[in-house]
Parts: sequence; structure tokens; C-alpha cells
Amino acid sequence: MEERGCAVDTPASRPVARKNKSYGRSCVEAPSYFWQTPGQLTVLKLPTTRGAAKSQIITDKVDPEHIALLLRNEWKLSYVTPLHCFRHNQLSSYAKHLSSFIVAEKQQGVAVEVGMDAGFKVTFTTVPGLAESDVDAETVFIQIQSKPVFAAADAVKVVWRGWLTCVNGDPEYLRSLPADFVSLPLFFTNGPESLTTLVKSWFGRTFDANFGSLPLNSSTLNWLAALWTGCHPTCNIRYLKLAWRLQSQPVLDISYTVNPQDAWELWNSIHTPESADDQIGEKEVQAFMNGLETHFFRHFKIHLSAGRLLTVSTSLGSAHHDGKIKIGNSEYITTLLTLLTEYALFKMPT
Amino acid sequence: MALLTPFSKVPEVNTATVLLIENEEELQVKLANSIVQHEKDFNVNVRLAKKLPLPVENKEARPRLDLIVFIINLLSERSFQSAETSLAHLHSDCFLGKVCFLVTNARCGSLTQERLLSVRRLASSHQCPVLCSEHRTADGVQASAMRLLTLLKVSAGMSPLSTTALFLSSLTRCSLSSDLEEDFLQ
Repeated sequence: MEERGCAVDTPASRPVARKNKSYGRSCVEAPSYFWQTPGQLTVLKLPTTRGAAKSQIITDKVDPEHIALLLRNEWKLSYVTPLHCFRHNQLSSYAKHLSSFIVAEKQQGVAVEVGMDAGFKVTFTTVPGLAESDVDAETVFIQIQSKPVFAAADAVKVVWRGWLTCVNGDPEYLRSLPADFVSLPLFFTNGPESLTTLVKSWFGRTFDANFGSLPLNSSTLNWLAALWTGCHPTCNIRYLKLAWRLQSQPVLDISYTVNPQDAWELWNSIHTPESADDQIGEKEVQAFMNGLETHFFRHFKIHLSAGRLLTVSTSLGSAHHDGKIKIGNSEYITTLLTLLTEYALFKMPT
Repeated sequence: MALLTPFSKVPEVNTATVLLIENEEELQVKLANSIVQHEKDFNVNVRLAKKLPLPVENKEARPRLDLIVFIINLLSERSFQSAETSLAHLHSDCFLGKVCFLVTNARCGSLTQERLLSVRRLASSHQCPVLCSEHRTADGVQASAMRLLTLLKVSAGMSPLSTTALFLSSLTRCSLSSDLEEDFLQ
């Protein structure tokens, strides 16, 4: 990247160090240096090789209760732009503000005081231990409980949950952010859409954060299928289920369940343990999916590659192309979150 | 293996032939009709195929092909794979301006980004242009037909300014930035 003669050492004038994993922007037209304004800090690309899923007993790092919170539900994914002036030590005041904001939005026109005990109770908690590298910010878990004003004290019910996280985010990108910004690019939500939009608009107002949906494209789903299959020897995945949709007349929905031992043998033949320096390449993932597709073709004479992969599920979790994800097992959660963080950072418009 | 060669036959007077290759066989027909409707100055023959190699039986009767267009639907991996395997059946002389890629559904951003990138890599390694086409509306099909006709005129040698196909291809061919190409070569 050319160096611009500049008196101030801005990130744009610092030369981007070229590493093995080269950086480029994958978009439609060839990028020219004309539109790389100084606001463009770094450009990110999805890596083509990735470390194999490592089993990690994270219960010693993270409180088991917190883990249990993350495992149970089906989450909807979004990406978040970096948050301005977000402090981890002010979470209780954020909680109060958010609850008053929600109450105010729900009853438009009536003034609401911050700290007033009204219909919603919000709690912000940090989940320490999920962040892997030292540039990752700590995970923040948000819970909204509805507390009807005239009800008994034990009638609180959690109506909405969400968490922001960053696991193994690209260190160069994270270091290049200006000092006031905290990057927690991955946002998981579970609950009614109305509350989700309220939370997002509150974040937008308070921290100038923008949200966007994160649909998982077929290559991410392929990676998940391969990574989860690779975990089979250490943790029985019990099944590998893939759901495809083919645009034919009538539309065909295919659910393809593979016996885990067979899937593991296929994966093993492609990614042999001797060759493993614990890195899985994109070509191996592609070969794995091709193997599954050709097997299907041999029996049913249907080309799965003419359709779209919609969901991948194993006992370790399930991922849907809409951006819905469910985490089944806490042992491999770090790898899953790393993959999703990378994808969120990639999708985020810089 | 019999490769399709561009210069093995004698061209006919005032005629140009274009071959549209598409695995799904849906846009081909609409595009063919549109091309034929819009060209009044010279005769256009449009041949349709699903993949290469072309059937051996027709070899003698087939006119000289001036332009070969691969239509790739970005929503289907199969479409891309089929185009890739068909490329192997073309003689290398064809790539001097007589081959072009037409992609559809490039608008579905999140679904097709990586496939579009692989099509562009394929096209740039063969030095061919990539056109994007909107196949669902009649206007879109007509626009693509006009663009293909422009390319066809040049590659059939009918351009009034004596532009050759090779020169035009050096202007229109798909290029990737060095970052992306480097990644590809790794």
C-alpha cells in the first residue's frame, strides 16, 4: 500500500504490513487507490486456512452459569460497528438508561425518569473469560426482564437476552481503532423483534453504533460443517444434518443426515492427521462438501450444488443461513465464536 | 480431444455467429430472441448449448463461431462448475477475444460475493471480459443483448473502425487487483 506523505502518523499513512494472509477487499470492482480515503483503516479478508477446532474446557475460565445462559437459546446474529465511549465499568448506569429508554418508547408521550422502577428491568453483565486474545474486549451480556408494576416480586420473567462479543478478532484491525472505540462486532439476540429494535436504537443513540444483519453464506456453513465433523473423535457429534433447497418445480427441500462416523471418515481421508499442522484449508472444506454432494448424486441423481445450503446442524450446534445459530456444547464455543467474529468483522462496512 | 477452434472455418458473408452456453438453459433463449430482434444490419446466428464439447455430428454443418458466451448463474455452484469444465474444451486461440462471461444474479450481494470473485478470477486468468446481466426484466435482457452484439460485431470483424477482437479484449478483459491475484496464486 502506498505511503502518503503526511505529517501526522494516521493509520492510513502507516504502511500496512504484508503478512502471509494478504489483505484485499473483495468487492465487485477492482479497488483503486482513489477511493481509499483516510477513513479507511484497514481492509479485511477472510482467511483461507483456519486452525482446527480445539476442544477447550472453558468452565475453568468462564462461570458455568454464564455458559449455561449462552447455550440454551437460539440466537439471531448481527454485526455491530465499534462502540464509542463504551466503558465496561459503567454497566449499571447503562442498564438503568436502557430500561428507562424502553419504558419511554413503549409509552410514548409520558415522561419517564431514569432510575424509576417501571415495567422493565435490564441487567448488563460482563462474561469474563470468553475473550481470547488481549486485544479482545470482554463479552457483555444483556438481559431484559419484564416486571409488571402490580405483580408479586417473583413474577419477573426474562423476555429478551442479548450478548456482544469479540473472540480472536483481527488484532491489527482492533489495534488500529482510535482509542475511544471498543469493538464488539458480534451481537446475538433472542427475544421479540420489537425489543431488539429498541435495544439497537438505544445503542445507536448512546454509542453511535450501527447494526446489520449477518446472514451466513454457504461458505461459512461449509466451514462449520467441516469444523464440527472434525470434532467427532473427541466429542460425539451424533449426526450431521444438512438442509438444502433446490429451486425446481416444485421447490425441493432436502434434508441430508449423515452418520457421524461416516462423515468423520470422509473428513479424515481429506484432512489426514499426518498432514495436519492443525490448519484446515479452504480446499479441504470444499473437497469435503464435494464428497457429500457426489455421494448424494450417486444415489438420487440430484446435483446438490445447483441448490442452496440452508442449515447445518450437529449436536455441537446448528447454524441457519438467516443468521440464526444455536450452540450445543460449550467445549468448542471458542472456535465457533472466532469464526463468527471474523465473519462479522468482514461483513461490517468499514 | 477435439477442441473448438476459432479459425478452422471460413466465415460467411455478412454473418456473425454467437454461441451461448448455459447450464440452466433459461436465459439463453430470451437472450437469443433479443439478439436476433435487435440486429438489422447483418445476419446473426445464435447457437445454444448446455455445455462443451459440442456434439460431433454437427461439426461439418456448424458455421464458424465468432463469439462464445458462458452464462453463469451466481446462485448455483453447479453453473460455475459446468462452465469451468467446458473451458477445457476450447482451443487456446479462442481466448484471444472470442470468449466472454455473462453472470446473472450478481445483485444478491451476500449470497454471491465469493462466487463472483471466483468467476472474476477465472475470467482474468483467461483474459476475458465479465458482463453482469439482469435477466428477470425484458429491459435487462435487451441491455445484455446489445452489449453482446457490440462484442460480436468486433469479433466477427464487422466493426467499422477496424477494431480487432484481440484489441478489444485487451480493453475489456477482467482484471483483478494485485492483492486478490496474489491470494489466488498462493
